[in-house]
Amino acid sequence: MSQISDFIGKFNTSMSLDQDLIVKKDDRYFLLDPKLKSLIKKDFLYAGIYLGRTKNDAFFPSFSLLTMLAQTDPNRIVVDNKTEWLFICGRDIFKQGITRLSKPGRKGDYTLILTEHGDSLGFGRILHYVDTKDKSKIAVKNIADIGDFLRRER
Amino acid sequence: MSGKDFFVKRYRQLGWRYEPIELKQAIRINSMNAERTEVTKRLESRGIQLQQIPFLEDGYWISKSDFSVGATTEYLSGLYSIQEAAAQMPTTLLSEPKDKLVLDACAAPGGKTVQLADLMCNTGAIIALDIEKRRLTALSNHLERCRVKNTIVYHQDARQARRLNLKFDRILLDMPCSGNFASDKEWFNRRTLEDVENNAKLQREILIEAKKILKEDGEIVYATCSLEPEEDEMNINWAITNLGLQTEYIDCYGDEGLTDIFGRKLDGSVENCRRIWPRKTQGFFVCKLKKRAKPR
Repeated sequence: MSQISDFIGKFNTSMSLDQDLIVKKDDRYFLLDPKLKSLIKKDFLYAGIYLGRTKNDAFFPSFSLLTMLAQTDPNRIVVDNKTEWLFICGRDIFKQGITRLSKPGRKGDYTLILTEHGDSLGFGRILHYVDTKDKSKIAVKNIADIGDFLRRER
Repeated sequence: MSGKDFFVKRYRQLGWRYEPIELKQAIRINSMNAERTEVTKRLESRGIQLQQIPFLEDGYWISKSDFSVGATTEYLSGLYSIQEAAAQMPTTLLSEPKDKLVLDACAAPGGKTVQLADLMCNTGAIIALDIEKRRLTALSNHLERCRVKNTIVYHQDARQARRLNLKFDRILLDMPCSGNFASDKEWFNRRTLEDVENNAKLQREILIEAKKILKEDGEIVYATCSLEPEEDEMNINWAITNLGLQTEYIDCYGDEGLTDIFGRKLDGSVENCRRIWPRKTQGFFVCKLKKRAKPR
């Protein structure tokens, strides 16, 4: 569980998750509501909100967790339409694609990547102080993006 | 007993003249995640032309799109699902699903499960089962993408649903079935009457189990995308006679259920079902069944 809060902390924010309502299935974590908690049996495959999974002690968040994170006050960057699609295709983000620095964060931190409409596209690691004047520099390294839903189906 | 001539002749005997159709792609807006007008506006700004489906609140046909509607930010963000128009109908027939305990007995790949969660506004609980583990991965991805929160998924045969030790307010039976020619170009070459009869038997086994785990006054929505009466009206007639279930009138797109099948007269209440011949949509059949409380 500490892996989840450590992960959230990298966005320079916090989120309270009721530990009693988190269930683990193999290497995956799910957040339930009390109703689901009262109904669930051990052999489930998926339940409630999927939070993410651990592998070799590293935590890989779900996109549901990133959406929940967007409701708090995390590091976040808004990108333009062209960058939005490039990011979904797995590309990194250059400074010139950033339209708004809502809470830019520091080098090495994680940041959420949002569309102009506020949809969460995924997250990345801040490589440079994003207010740099050199627009050709990669500002954010892509770590996970919602294009993963397409790649999973292949 | 198979082949195009054989099946087309049967349809003629049931009162429908066969004609090939081109299915229009359809989407359904997940209103729990975004306002309908906001999503349509965003898609139209990308050059996607939409046409509201007259008999569905959240359904739209894609009139024109230069790219796949399964590869947009809006789709990947769970703002809509790709779901054929007729396939959007069964879930909308469950009465007042909010806060209820609902079983989606044959759930994968999850289009109707997500729609159910949407109609329930993520309240209550959905138990989603499927017998094919591989398809449950697609279901789980679908639930994550569309931000569904009220569902538990099990790898389980619907015919053994009593093992859950639960009684349900509502049950959605989107039955495994023979399908129809409108959604499968090779349908006439692949299907035989024997397949149809085997599927009808499987559907009756699922109905038996569903009745056992349905609460008194609970309801079942039974749906197939088969045009064959053995899987449709004849199974409903069987459920009325053998399981004591009652049909409920449903007000939706489609024709009345048939009560005269190849000269065999069925219970008059079978006409409460809706048979959807392929015209604007693929072929479909839906019925609402009620388990009446025993008088005290």
